[in-house]
Amino acid sequence: MKVIAVTACPTGIAHTYMAAARLEKIAKHFGHEIKVETQGAMGIENKLTESDISQAQIAIFAVDIEIEGRERFNGMKVIQVPLQEALKNPEGIFAKIER
Amino acid sequence: MADQNHKSLEVVFSCPLASGLHARPASHLAEVANQYVSDCSLTNLRNGLVANAKSVLGIIAADVRHQDRCVLLVKGADERPAQKALHSFIHETLPHCDVPLVDTARSSHSYAIPRFLKAAGVTAIPGVPVSRGIAQGHVVILRTMGLPHKISSGPGILKPNQELDRVREAVASVRQQILEKLKYSLTPTANAVLQADLALASDVMLLEKLTERVLSGKSAAQAVVETAEYFIDLLAHSESEYIRQRSADIEEICVQLLQEICGEAPSARVELTGPSVLIAESLGPQQLLQLDRHWLRALVLGHSASTSHAAILARSLGIPTLAAVRNAPLLLSPGLEVVVDANRGFLIPQVSPKVRQFYEREQTVLQSRKAAWSRDLRISAITTDGKRVEVGANASSGEEAILAFENGADGIGLFRTEILFLGRNDSPSEEEQFAVYSEVVRTADGRPVIIRTFDIGGDKKAPYLNLPREENPFLGYRGMRIYAEHEPLLHTQLRSILRASSAGRLQIMAPMITTLEEVVQFKTAVTRAQGELAQEGFSVSPDIKIGIMIEVPAIAFVLDRLCREVDFFSIGTNDLSQYFFAADRTNQKVSTLFSVRHPGFLAFVAQIVERIHKNKKWVGLCGDMAADIRNLPLLVALGLDEISGPAAEVHELKRAVSMLHTADCAKMLARAIASERACEVDDLLAVPLAPQLEPLLSEELVVLESSSRTKEEVIQEIVDACYIAKRTEQRDLLEEALWAREELYSTGLGYGFATPHCMTDAITNDSICVLRLRHPIHWDSVDGEPVRMVVLLALRNSEAATPHMQIFSSLARKLMNEDFRQNLLEADSASAVTAYLAEQLGAAFVSNLSLKKSLSSGADLISQKPD
Repeated sequence: MKVIAVTACPTGIAHTYMAAARLEKIAKHFGHEIKVETQGAMGIENKLTESDISQAQIAIFAVDIEIEGRERFNGMKVIQVPLQEALKNPEGIFAKIER
Repeated sequence: MADQNHKSLEVVFSCPLASGLHARPASHLAEVANQYVSDCSLTNLRNGLVANAKSVLGIIAADVRHQDRCVLLVKGADERPAQKALHSFIHETLPHCDVPLVDTARSSHSYAIPRFLKAAGVTAIPGVPVSRGIAQGHVVILRTMGLPHKISSGPGILKPNQELDRVREAVASVRQQILEKLKYSLTPTANAVLQADLALASDVMLLEKLTERVLSGKSAAQAVVETAEYFIDLLAHSESEYIRQRSADIEEICVQLLQEICGEAPSARVELTGPSVLIAESLGPQQLLQLDRHWLRALVLGHSASTSHAAILARSLGIPTLAAVRNAPLLLSPGLEVVVDANRGFLIPQVSPKVRQFYEREQTVLQSRKAAWSRDLRISAITTDGKRVEVGANASSGEEAILAFENGADGIGLFRTEILFLGRNDSPSEEEQFAVYSEVVRTADGRPVIIRTFDIGGDKKAPYLNLPREENPFLGYRGMRIYAEHEPLLHTQLRSILRASSAGRLQIMAPMITTLEEVVQFKTAVTRAQGELAQEGFSVSPDIKIGIMIEVPAIAFVLDRLCREVDFFSIGTNDLSQYFFAADRTNQKVSTLFSVRHPGFLAFVAQIVERIHKNKKWVGLCGDMAADIRNLPLLVALGLDEISGPAAEVHELKRAVSMLHTADCAKMLARAIASERACEVDDLLAVPLAPQLEPLLSEELVVLESSSRTKEEVIQEIVDACYIAKRTEQRDLLEEALWAREELYSTGLGYGFATPHCMTDAITNDSICVLRLRHPIHWDSVDGEPVRMVVLLALRNSEAATPHMQIFSSLARKLMNEDFRQNLLEADSASAVTAYLAEQLGAAFVSNLSLKKSLSSGADLISQKPD
């Protein structure tokens, strides 16, 4: 499955990137293709393009704050969880996807 | 005072001193005026105030501020010589006769009780720190300072003449007491303060006002009280805070007078019998000097004067002092044990076990910080290719030398002694000079200090030398050239330098040398002083090094010969360049001719250095060329043995050296010398040195055996680690920022790791700090597991997309990797942690100083060893 994700936390120094790393690793483990956009202290990185979004079946938002450019994902199937969830139980998030 | 029939003689000037004509310069002016019988008045044209120029108090009250236009009117029997003397004082001495006082109190002081103490319910009384430090002791209250409004007791009123005798005797006795204290004065600062007090006690206007009142029928005691009120009121109207604060000094003198007249035991004699914190509404400098410093731990003052003489003295003696503490004598009872925290700015009136615990820990932190800082400063400036460059500092006073060493100077490349000789009416004694040189050499703690004998003449005049007025002073009678005529002065100075040399590495340097004969004369004078001291039984370093300044181009062509006579040279670029170009550096009209970056001048200096090195002698450079950091590549390329810059810039210079590569510098110098014009060299140097970010991490920021047992203690410990490594000056704010983040949700990321982090200006450099805990602790982690390793990420509030943020994000990602975590958990030393992180995150972001240290033990990176 093609999965896209956005991570964002309040200070944008640490957890945004930890969550991104964690999601990438677990996705690989479950055999999914994933691209994670980070919205942290450095702004938006690894930005999801229109084609990324159109090709993906599902979007994961592991965020504690309102994300930038949410309208890009209108009409998509979105799973939104608190960022901590991506650290605590990323397997659970992917289990939800597969259901 | 001005008589209509006969016009007074005038001296018009505008005040050259940044802090105005305050007590110390005013006492110099009054001293000159008092040498003549003529009347002398000072009018401040800005505010119209007129003062008797023979009175320090009068001059102070005229409120002369920087650049105020003023006129001195002289009239009387000896008005011509008086006017001449005043003219020369105003134009030649006055501009040099003030050393600015550093007001260390922060103007907008805000205090915060550390989180730990707040949590323990500790209350504190705020105050303004005027002399830093922390101390603990028992309260001793000094209540007697201050004058009564009316004298109710005391001796009965006698006839006016007898009352006047009482006043005169009291003044004489107070003067005598100050003179006694001067004999045992401990520091140059204490000396200056007591001199100012002496001037106040001897003030003509003070005596005038006292006399007036006594002759009108008042008792001597009442006259003192009213006179004090008169002057205090006068000064209270000054627009300068500094001058308003001088009223404390007058009050002290008047209290002393009163004690003399009323025959009371000196009230300031407080006996200290144990560790004491002295509480007083205000405190005079003399009272302070009377206290037993063995037991005096801290001062707490009610008044707010941060430049009061007591505060200045407290700083010079290192006594922690809080000022502006309201109602302290009412809030604290004698004998109570208190803590004075004059770093943060408060007093804790109840020393509970928690307070004790906090300050015991604080003491360890402060010691570590001091040790870490002095280690860091002792680290040499080494270019990226491993060449060591000695960076010294120029200084003119003990204070400046301390500043230089605090900034990491490898030595004092030029200690100017003129300041000791200027702005006074007689030359400094051997003892006075000995005290100053000894202080400098003690501060140097084994590092070399080059003391230059006095360079007077040119733009620097001393009245007691009676130097002739010259058409062209810079090409005339100055430096070495006046030594033959003023031989006793040189002799006294050489004696004091040689005596001080037994305490460390002193070297002697002569200014303005033009010929070989002068060098021989100078050396003879040194030998004579050495012989004399040896006979008198002084221990004198026998092989003291003697050097000369290179300021006169003529000597550049006899260097081979000179190298046989002297041990070292120092290039004074200011004078050397002005003589090289025959252009006065202060004359705007010829300033375009004058540039130390002129290709011709650079080639000239390069030749000088080469010649001296061929003869295997040492050559340094002092002067303004080293003050401009952009010249540094040229100076490094010249191969100088030492670059001596301004005391405050040493740290910057050292850091800049460590970013240079000698090959780049050599190329730069070659291109500069091959240029046609100075402005081309300016362009070459205009490209700033490559900006280099402070490293994120150094070994000091890695603690592998932390014994913290709670999250609170861990946060406190990482904040302290940042403080020890000088990465924060605002621990409380940093601590609060970290807790603010923790309160959103725990930073425990699982796997036994936590990453407290924040974005705050309380951190001075973006930093990573690593703490490995001996006892795993609860951190509310996502997996509920206890934490064993804590990694702090602290970022300044700056543009988000810094390279450091990339490192942080990459570190955050790597923490998700088991191997990475395992490596950190198993590292066996702090250097192993920094080395691993350097490998994983990029070497540039880990302190190059610690890298150099660890590399130098293996590879021979440091080619030149410090001597």
